[in-house]
Amino acid sequence: MAVKIQEPHGQRQSGHAGLAATEKLTEPGWAWAAYRPDAQRPWNLAQAGHLYRRAAFGASWEQLQQALADGPQQTIDKLLRPQADTAAFNRALDEYETAAASVGALRAWWLRRIIQTPHPLLEKMTLFWHSHFGTSGAEVNNAQLMRQHVQLLRSQALNSFRRLLEGISRDPAVLIWLGADTNRKAAPNDNLARPLMEAFTLGPGHYTEKDVREAARAFTGWYVLRGRLRYIPREHDGNVKHILGQKGKFTADDVVRIVLEQPATARTLVRKLYRWLICETEEPDEKLTAPLVESFAEDYDVLKLVERMLRSNVFFSEAAYRRRVKCPVEFAVGIVRGLEGVVSTTQLGQDLADLGQNLYHPPTVKGWAGGRHWINSATLVGRHNLTVALLRGSGPYGDKLNPWAIAKKHGCSTPKSAARLLLDLFLQDNLDPDVRDAVLKTSQTSGDASSDTEEAVRRCAHTVVTLSEFHLA
Amino acid sequence: MFYTRRDFLKTALGTSALLSFAPAVPSFLIRPVMAATSRRDDRDTVLVVIQLSGGNDGLNTVVPHGDDEYARNRPTLRLPSKELHKIDSLIGLHPRMEAFMRLYKDGHLSIVQGVGYPNSDRSHEGAMRIWHTADPDRPSRQTGWLGRAADSIWDPNTTNAPAAFVGSIAQPFGLNAEKVVVPSIRALGDLVAHQMPGHSSGRSEAEHVAKLPRANQDSPLVRFLQRCTLDAYADSQRVEAVAKTAANTGEYPPFGLAGTLRTVAQLIRADIGIRIFFTELGGSGIGGFDNHANQLGNHCALLHQLSESIAAFVHDLKRNELLNRVLLMTFSEFGRTVKENGRRGTNHGAAAPIFLAGGKLKTGLVGSHPSLNDLDNGGLKFHTDFRRVYATALDQWLGFDSRVVLGGEFKQLDILNV
Repeated sequence: MAVKIQEPHGQRQSGHAGLAATEKLTEPGWAWAAYRPDAQRPWNLAQAGHLYRRAAFGASWEQLQQALADGPQQTIDKLLRPQADTAAFNRALDEYETAAASVGALRAWWLRRIIQTPHPLLEKMTLFWHSHFGTSGAEVNNAQLMRQHVQLLRSQALNSFRRLLEGISRDPAVLIWLGADTNRKAAPNDNLARPLMEAFTLGPGHYTEKDVREAARAFTGWYVLRGRLRYIPREHDGNVKHILGQKGKFTADDVVRIVLEQPATARTLVRKLYRWLICETEEPDEKLTAPLVESFAEDYDVLKLVERMLRSNVFFSEAAYRRRVKCPVEFAVGIVRGLEGVVSTTQLGQDLADLGQNLYHPPTVKGWAGGRHWINSATLVGRHNLTVALLRGSGPYGDKLNPWAIAKKHGCSTPKSAARLLLDLFLQDNLDPDVRDAVLKTSQTSGDASSDTEEAVRRCAHTVVTLSEFHLA
Repeated sequence: MFYTRRDFLKTALGTSALLSFAPAVPSFLIRPVMAATSRRDDRDTVLVVIQLSGGNDGLNTVVPHGDDEYARNRPTLRLPSKELHKIDSLIGLHPRMEAFMRLYKDGHLSIVQGVGYPNSDRSHEGAMRIWHTADPDRPSRQTGWLGRAADSIWDPNTTNAPAAFVGSIAQPFGLNAEKVVVPSIRALGDLVAHQMPGHSSGRSEAEHVAKLPRANQDSPLVRFLQRCTLDAYADSQRVEAVAKTAANTGEYPPFGLAGTLRTVAQLIRADIGIRIFFTELGGSGIGGFDNHANQLGNHCALLHQLSESIAAFVHDLKRNELLNRVLLMTFSEFGRTVKENGRRGTNHGAAAPIFLAGGKLKTGLVGSHPSLNDLDNGGLKFHTDFRRVYATALDQWLGFDSRVVLGGEFKQLDILNV
């Protein structure tokens, strides 16, 4: 078996048509200004696909077409504030989750929510916070506490980071997971104070060991007893503490207030969100993120920050395009949403866990490292096999996804036109010509029977979603 | 004939031809070849860790028949001296561990005696956590020692999984990594790329398209993904090829652990870059080694499975001269009380022996058998901290920096011919 190297035909073409050159990006004023399409940077299918990968979990064909008609800013309006009755949808799902007896069932309901929600950005941001506050059911062992934890994340996902952090600091699931469910005056433990400063807010280098120890004293008195948060006043250390340059008889709420007053907190969050929404291959310049950090520190309004990032020139630039590796949830749900189906999310939850993303079970308090860490030869074979299972039309996922039916629905009548549609749907046809031609060839059928056609289009869809490019967001 | 990963890459890609035409070749194809050739001095050693879940009774595994205290403390559980496989005048192996005795005589088995740690934890969960984190002082530590080992050797161009769990229970915490995704492998087929229905023959379209050059893609991630995809399909083919020669693998007894180790042997043979394998005997939950009552028969069956399965694994690897690349290590969360408990069982104890198997062992017996009089709350006292064994495996065997993984320096044991 020899790997044949095929020479590219013709000259190297310009990359992603319509992307801004990178040199202007170092100028924050231009970088964060709203993207206005023009002749050099037109609004096209590639940009619409990019937006839906980042601000949602991929798009259906109709959503892409609607986005082309609406233009970028109006599409972003809808992603930020959908007209559909999101509240009613989420209330119904909340009820199912309340009845869930296990964390495994919660995992399946969340995936169902991600697949069907009219407000995918809300789930995208809930997933972001789930990784940020890396709280796992492995230690909590209580489905209702985990449900409440993710509910808290969702309630503030596009809202106030201040209220979110206040909620996290007194969330029973978080305290149990961190081993911070017993905070005695005589033996303060830093199991909450340390990750609060290191991972949730300031980041390494912006606090001292003394700050951690003093904050641990401020958290004394708080317990989780039989799954409920309790405050026992006689166990609280009411003496003076020194935290991050401030001095007082601080309580738990004071610690949260003090870390939010530190500029390092807004910086950590802005940079992490930049990585999540814009680019993970390169760290942004301090100068570039400065205006966002300054503005976020004023109000900790997450929606405003997300909105600014999504609308920006930098978001629609070369520096962002295909500069993120899809997490397993994005990878699989992108296929499911693109093909307008609903699959068994009990099975999907397990399969995604095998690929390294077990919802409700981030590996550590630092969440999923993501990026290149998602990818190794075992997880790639796993992704390949998951897509076979999703697309083959039989087996654990049944025939819930049918690319040929979707292609016909959108006006295709031949396998070749179906192949073109699938390339546009999943990759906006932004591929090297040789790759595109090879994919189109796979849609050729040997016979004329309609079952052959369906099978050929399934194989073609599989080829599309196993392309290197499809693993990137 | 089995090739190493390096040989395979050279054969498959034609090193010399590739390099002589280097300028015309996409860089993603040159890189693995260069990396492979420059890896000549790099180690490709493998560590296989077997967890014995539930707390193995070390005293009835490596039996101090020469000490009268043994018989005195074990009125119903004592094993008849004449049936033991005697190692010396003091100790012998359990009667059903004849396969281990053969390995011992061939120099393929070491017994590290009296392994433990200070202030032994007697709860299954707490003690197992300590063996997994390798950090007795920080019970809330969120990573396992093998997970940290996997993280410690990761670099941004890594394409293989450095470690894997092989088995059907949930992945044990010892492999929990902060960054790297450690796969759980239930069967060999999990690492083979499946075909879509109706696929005619040969490699799939996906594998064909993966090879096409991407000249128009600016993102460094496209090149990374393409390289990983090519490696993934190459690894898949290697696993498939090994699976097809299943008839040629050595004889394995019909035990669950034997089947798991057979899979491990096949993956070592496939040479897909996994350096650490974790497997398990005793099952999920508290584990089959936890025998508070009527211990004798159950323990006997487990030790028989353990010794026969490992012996089959060793013989299988030896046929392909792979044994010299492999070090196997057992561990359990604790030993058991010296005194039996009145229900023909034993309670949770402390120190216990660790078994090592492989082709590069220096000595059979490591350390002395702990005293049966001077006890740690009814269990045996340790004299060798378990992290010294871990450090030896990490540093001397795998060539990793044990200080990074274990967070400190632990005096290594002189037990390996490396």
